[in-house]
Amino acid sequence: MTVVLDAQGLGKRFGSFHAVDGVDLAVEEGAIHSVIGPNGAGKTTLFRLLTGVLTPTSGTLVFRGERTEGKRPHAIARRGLVQSFQMTSIFPRLTALESVEAAIVARERRALDCVTRFHRSTAGEARELLDSVGLGEVGQLRADTLSHGDQRALDIALALATRPSLLLLDEPTAGMSPTETHRIRGLVSELARGRGLTVLFSEHDMDVVFGISDRVTVLHEGRVIAEGSVADVQADPQVMAVYLGSAEVAA
Amino acid sequence: MELADRITARAAGRPRALAGALGVLGLVGGIAALGLLLPVSEALIVEDAVGVSVFALATNLLLGYGGLVSFGQAAFYASGAYLVTLGWRRWDWSFWLALALAPFLGAALALPIGLIALRTRKLYFALLTLAFSQLFFVLAEKQFTFTGGDDGSFVKFWATEPRHGFLLVLAVAAVSALALWWIVSSPFGLVLRATRENRERMEALGVNVFAHQLAAFMISGAFCSVAGVLFVVYSQTSYPTLLQWTTSGEPVIMAVVGGMFAFLGPVIGAFVYTLGHHYLIQHTTHWQLILGAVLLAIVLLRPDGLAGLLQLRRRKA
Repeated sequence: MTVVLDAQGLGKRFGSFHAVDGVDLAVEEGAIHSVIGPNGAGKTTLFRLLTGVLTPTSGTLVFRGERTEGKRPHAIARRGLVQSFQMTSIFPRLTALESVEAAIVARERRALDCVTRFHRSTAGEARELLDSVGLGEVGQLRADTLSHGDQRALDIALALATRPSLLLLDEPTAGMSPTETHRIRGLVSELARGRGLTVLFSEHDMDVVFGISDRVTVLHEGRVIAEGSVADVQADPQVMAVYLGSAEVAA
Repeated sequence: MELADRITARAAGRPRALAGALGVLGLVGGIAALGLLLPVSEALIVEDAVGVSVFALATNLLLGYGGLVSFGQAAFYASGAYLVTLGWRRWDWSFWLALALAPFLGAALALPIGLIALRTRKLYFALLTLAFSQLFFVLAEKQFTFTGGDDGSFVKFWATEPRHGFLLVLAVAAVSALALWWIVSSPFGLVLRATRENRERMEALGVNVFAHQLAAFMISGAFCSVAGVLFVVYSQTSYPTLLQWTTSGEPVIMAVVGGMFAFLGPVIGAFVYTLGHHYLIQHTTHWQLILGAVLLAIVLLRPDGLAGLLQLRRRKA
C-alpha cells in the first residue's frame, strides 16, 4: 500500500505548551484511518497542522510525495487534502445546490472566471453529489434551513466536490443523534469502500471508530501512544489506562 | 429523473429569463421616456439618479455580494470625474477617450488600495478604505494648480442639448448594469457570495480568497469610476468634495435602503435617495433627519431593504 500522507515528528508548541508533540502518522491509500484520544489530546490541532491552518513548530509533512508544512491552506487543498470541519462549516445563505456548485468551480480553478458561464456539466455534477450524500431532495433549500444531519452531509459533499485524494473528517458525528450518527457512519464507510477514497477522521464515538476503521492512531497529551488495527488498539494496555473507566474501549 | 429535472428547470427558467429581459427593457424605456417628457430641470434629477445607480450597483458588488463594507468608494468615483474634466482641460481629451479610460483608471487605483486594505477585516477594512479616500481628498484640495482645488474643474461639452446627455447617461448605465449582472451571475459571482458566507470554508476548498476579493474590489473600482464620468455629464464639473467620506457613504446607504441582496436593490435605493433628497429639501431643512429615520427603520425592520419589502421576486441572498 502506498502512503498518501506521512507525518514525521510533527509538533506544535503554543508558548511552553506542546499541543502536538512529535507525532508520526502514516495514512495508507484507500484506508479509513481514525485518530482517537481523550479531550485535549491534540486531535484538532493535529488536523489543523495537516491542512495548513497552523504551521508546525517541528517535524515534516509529506502529502502525495510533496512537502506541505508551511504551505497555505488553499495550496494544500488544491493538492487534494480536503477537510470537513468539526463545527459544520457551510454557506448559510446559499442553497445546497449553489454551495456544491461553488465547490466544483473552485476545483475547476474557475473561481475568478467572471466572463464565461457555468459549464453545463456543473449543475449535473452538483446534483449527483447531493444525491450521493442523500440530499437529492433539498438542493433548492437554503443551507441554514437544513437539519443538523443534512448540514453535516452537505459539508461532506462540499469536500467531495473537490475530488480529494484524502478526506479529513474532524469528529463527523459530534453532537448528533444516534440516527444521524448511524447515517454519517454509513456514509463515510460507503465513500471509502465505494469511491476508493482515503479517509482520515477523528471521533469520540467508539462504536463508529471500531466499526469502520482499518487503522487507529491513539493520541494522548499530544503524543501517539498506540497505532495499529482495531484489535491491536483495543488490546493495548496503555490505551486502556488512558481510557480507564471508559466501558466502550474496555469492552 | 435527472433529465426530467433538467427539462422542468429549463421550462421554469426560460419564461423567467424572458420576463426579466422584458422587465429591464421596460424599465430602461420608461426612464428614457421620463427623460424626454419631463421638463429639463426634472429630467436632470432623474439623470442624477440613473448616474448614481451605477455607483450604488458597483459598491454593492462589494457590500451585498462580497460582504465587504468599503467606505472609500469615493476615490474611484472621483477618479472618473477628474479624468474627464482634467483630461479635457489639460490634454484636450475628448469625452469618449475619458469614458473609455475611466474603468482602467478605477481598477488600477483599486489595485494598490485593495492590496493593503484587504489584508484586514471588517471595521479595519472600512477604516483603511476611508483613510485612502481621505488621502486623495487632501491631495485634490492641495494640488490647486492641477485640480483647481476647491473651485473645482469645469468642462464644457458637446452635449449642450441636455436630452442627449440624459440618453448618454442612461445608455452607459444600462450597459454597466448589464455587465455587472453578467459578473454576479458568473462562477466568480457565486464564489464571491460563498466567500461572504464563509471565508474559511472557501479557502479550504482551494480558492485564494484574497485574490478573489481583490478582483472584486478592482471591478467595483472600475464601475465606480464610470459612474464618476456620468456625474460630469450632468454636473459639468468635478470638485474635491466628491472625495469626501460622505460621498463614499451615499452608495452604501442607497444599497442598504434599496436592498443589498437583490441585484436591482441599489438602483431602487439610488432613486429613492436622489428623488427623496431633491423633493424633501424643498419642504424641510431636516431631510437628513428623515433619511436617518428611514435608514434606521430599514436596518432594524427589513435588512433586505425596499426590494425585500416589495418582494419583486424571491431571490436568493
